[in-house]
Amino acid sequence: MIPQLRRLLTQLRFLFSPNSRHDLDEELQFHIDQSTQQKIAQGLPPEEARRQTLIEFGGVERARDESHQQRPGWWIETLAQDIRYALRGFRRNPVFTVTAIATLALGIGATTAVFSVVDPILFRALPYGHPDGLVSIGLTQSLEKQEFTLGGFYYYWKDNQTPFESLTEEGGTDECDLTEHNPVRLNCARVEGNFLPTLGISPLLGRNFLPEEDRPHGPKVALISYGLWLTQYNRDPGVLNKLIEIDGRSVRVIGVLPKDFEMPRLQAADVVVPRAVDISAQRTVNDGLGIPMWVFARLKPGITIEQAYQAMQPLYQDILKILPVEDRAVFRKDFHFKVRSLRDRQVDDIRLIAWILFGSVLAVLLIACANVASLLLTRATARQRELAVRSALGASRARLIRQTLTEAVLLSLAGAAAGCGLAAILLKIFVAIAPAGIPFLGKAALDPRILLFTVLLALFSGMLFGLVPALKRPSPGALAARTTPSGNHAALRRALVVGQVSVSMILLSGAGLLLRSFQNLQSQNLGMQTHGILTVQTSLTLQRYASSQKKMEFYRQVEGAIRRIPGITSVGISDSLPPAGWHGGRRYADLLVDGRSATPLNTGGTVTCRSVTPGYFRALGIPLVKGQNFTEEQRDLPNEHFMILSRLLADRLFPQQNPLNQRIRIGLDDFWYTIVGVASEVRNADLQGDNEPEFYTLRRYSDSNWNHTILTVETTLPPDTVVPWIRSQISHLDPTVPVDIEPMHERISKLADRPRFESALLGFFAFTGLLMAIIGLYGVTAFMVAQRTQEVGVRMALGASRSSILRLILWDGVRLIALGTTLGLGASLALSRLLRTMLFSIGPHDPVTFTAVTVLLALVALIATLLPASSATKVDPVVALRYE
Amino acid sequence: MPPSTDLLQGTLDLLILKTLALESMHGWGIAQRIQQVSRDALQIGQGSLYPALHRLEYRGWIQSDWGASENNRRAKFYSLTPAGTQQLQTELETWDRLSSAIGLIVRQTPEAAS
Repeated sequence: MIPQLRRLLTQLRFLFSPNSRHDLDEELQFHIDQSTQQKIAQGLPPEEARRQTLIEFGGVERARDESHQQRPGWWIETLAQDIRYALRGFRRNPVFTVTAIATLALGIGATTAVFSVVDPILFRALPYGHPDGLVSIGLTQSLEKQEFTLGGFYYYWKDNQTPFESLTEEGGTDECDLTEHNPVRLNCARVEGNFLPTLGISPLLGRNFLPEEDRPHGPKVALISYGLWLTQYNRDPGVLNKLIEIDGRSVRVIGVLPKDFEMPRLQAADVVVPRAVDISAQRTVNDGLGIPMWVFARLKPGITIEQAYQAMQPLYQDILKILPVEDRAVFRKDFHFKVRSLRDRQVDDIRLIAWILFGSVLAVLLIACANVASLLLTRATARQRELAVRSALGASRARLIRQTLTEAVLLSLAGAAAGCGLAAILLKIFVAIAPAGIPFLGKAALDPRILLFTVLLALFSGMLFGLVPALKRPSPGALAARTTPSGNHAALRRALVVGQVSVSMILLSGAGLLLRSFQNLQSQNLGMQTHGILTVQTSLTLQRYASSQKKMEFYRQVEGAIRRIPGITSVGISDSLPPAGWHGGRRYADLLVDGRSATPLNTGGTVTCRSVTPGYFRALGIPLVKGQNFTEEQRDLPNEHFMILSRLLADRLFPQQNPLNQRIRIGLDDFWYTIVGVASEVRNADLQGDNEPEFYTLRRYSDSNWNHTILTVETTLPPDTVVPWIRSQISHLDPTVPVDIEPMHERISKLADRPRFESALLGFFAFTGLLMAIIGLYGVTAFMVAQRTQEVGVRMALGASRSSILRLILWDGVRLIALGTTLGLGASLALSRLLRTMLFSIGPHDPVTFTAVTVLLALVALIATLLPASSATKVDPVVALRYE
Repeated sequence: MPPSTDLLQGTLDLLILKTLALESMHGWGIAQRIQQVSRDALQIGQGSLYPALHRLEYRGWIQSDWGASENNRRAKFYSLTPAGTQQLQTELETWDRLSSAIGLIVRQTPEAAS
């Protein structure tokens, strides 16, 4: 320890001591003088003695340099020299420098930004204790791919399971109102009493629920979120044990949730209350299936998910035996038991796009690295002569390698710095254009680890390809001026170009497919009018509008008031809107046609239903293909019920029959609906899905459920004019009601946010990749042309025509392009299958897209080779030959 | 000067340290002393001597001071530091081990080999 320390101190002393060159000179001079004197003493004449001494002594300069190089700080001096030299080189060659730095910046910036977005989705730590042991358990069905459970199953499993430490369930979140002095609309989550301990969450303040609080009619208590504590109670610890009023009922606050709390299904939750399930009733309610719930469990240590699944499978089979006979077959056929990690559940649908982004950004990085490598190789070849000269002047190979490395590192660092800036900007853009509902995007921040990774990668590739030429001993031939050192790295450079072209082919075809799919999505016929339509929604507090009657009165007045606004042509009311979002649904088997026997239960899937006013069809411009629309008068008839079928449902229920005036009963209702019309198809299963059969019932003034109410307003005036009028009309009726007005086309545009985001991102990468590949191709061709100037001169002097020269040069590029495109085409045909689930009405091997992409790539690449090639034809043979 | 290149790697350091162990000396003196003691078998050229001296100095094994030479000229005198004394000991041991090992191999008779 001590000797090392001393040595370090000695070195530091020399590092900072003034330059000792003068001392060294004096020392060497002394040596020479002594030697001369000795020789004189031996009898040589002074002149001769001096001459012999100098011969014996050898190079003074070399001795001086070598002694100097022993200094501890010597490498810093060299480094400074190398850097100065590199910077001079960059200044002399700005095109090279800017291209290299821009390429690196794009590669590093794009990669870092995308990693930063993808990382929290794929790899973030869940905010629970030991999250790796958490699983989600439940049933999946053809219509519900995300597992859920029913009370009838859950409590049986809970009592008999072995693989889990504990199981817990949540019943989803509902809107609720904090009905204190200034009411706020909140999200209330209902969970089982052991929810927090199972997930490994401890309240920031206060305590978890007690067992008696999780029983029906138990004390009303709640945990509040950190956000609510902050905004509503100003982080006052006195909130504990305070009674707050939720939906008009007193609830005691028993704790505050931690800041990073989130529900396992990521729903927003401001208040968490015990669900207080009546366990004994679970075998009777909902046909003995129990209420729906979402179940999460913690695995016992050492148990894998697969083992847990195997252990739970018999329990699932057991419970099926308890079910009514007619349900059993359905469950066996359509339902599947599923156990998977909580993380898998959370990232389920975002996972694919995350991996695709990940892959495409890696591809861009690859192209960028190849580009830099190719640039460095080109530069190195061009500098072979310079290296040979330096080597001849005495630069050691180590020194030359260090010089090359210094340049590569400088370039990479400059690229990395620019890349950091670009990454920050790109990340902002991503977050801004990303659709709502991509989890964790808000939390995406530039991750220094990721930045470091990409910078290191860039450094590595720079050094690697900087080294390849430096490692070769400069041949003396390279000194001889113009003799072409061309063929050297040509093969490597060509390989890089082929690689770049094929990788950009993959990116382009992926982007092309997504873009076409997005176009299809946007341009599809929704079956209804979307422009000039406003949707109006209000949230009525339960306190002021307790009864359905009160709500109906309110909406009746609103409808009348809006109808009187000038420029409004029709107003409809419905409980939901196509093409996506919540809507009512029934089982197909529930529809009983008068005079027919019931369809066997549980065949035929589900049917969408909407409760609408006659104005709904008028406002949305949905034509009736048979029969008539509902009438205003029908809304007042208390004892008659009317229905309109969608064409799909009409064709299915009444093939080759006239559906008009047929009567239908739904489920166990004690009345019949009379069919008055058939409406044309409207997209009703999201933008991507196949249409579901649908029926419309007349929303009447008497019996309807007014909880879900949306007004659709058709107007001939611009929305900006009409919106304030509508708002003032509603606030005239009740100033406390919040009103949400949104144009229909914006609502629909939001549904396409996700595909838009996906195709925009992939498009961006494809464009970046293409750009860089083209730069690479151009650079290589231009360089080859420059190398062959003399050859071209000879050919022309011997009588070659300009077009044959052009062919000669072009042929070289065309071969590279053809090879790259073919390889890329093969790879993208294989890879595009991954995109299948993201594509809408287009196959993953869509010939149009692939042809277009191939042609585009080939064309652009051809232009990139044509430009330098045509400059080759302008070579003046005389000039080219005199070059030598 | 040619013999110096025949010196074993690292041997020069040992020779310098050993020479300086007796008294402090300037570069010329060190070269002369080595030449004398080895009966002209080893001649140290300045091309290797001075880089070696500087290297040893930067390692902290020897230190230098300006002083007056025999003929009253300003000269740089090198002397051993405590660390250098230690280093000399280590190098001597290494040298002994090495030379006896080499001796064993070189002096091996054909009979012993078979």
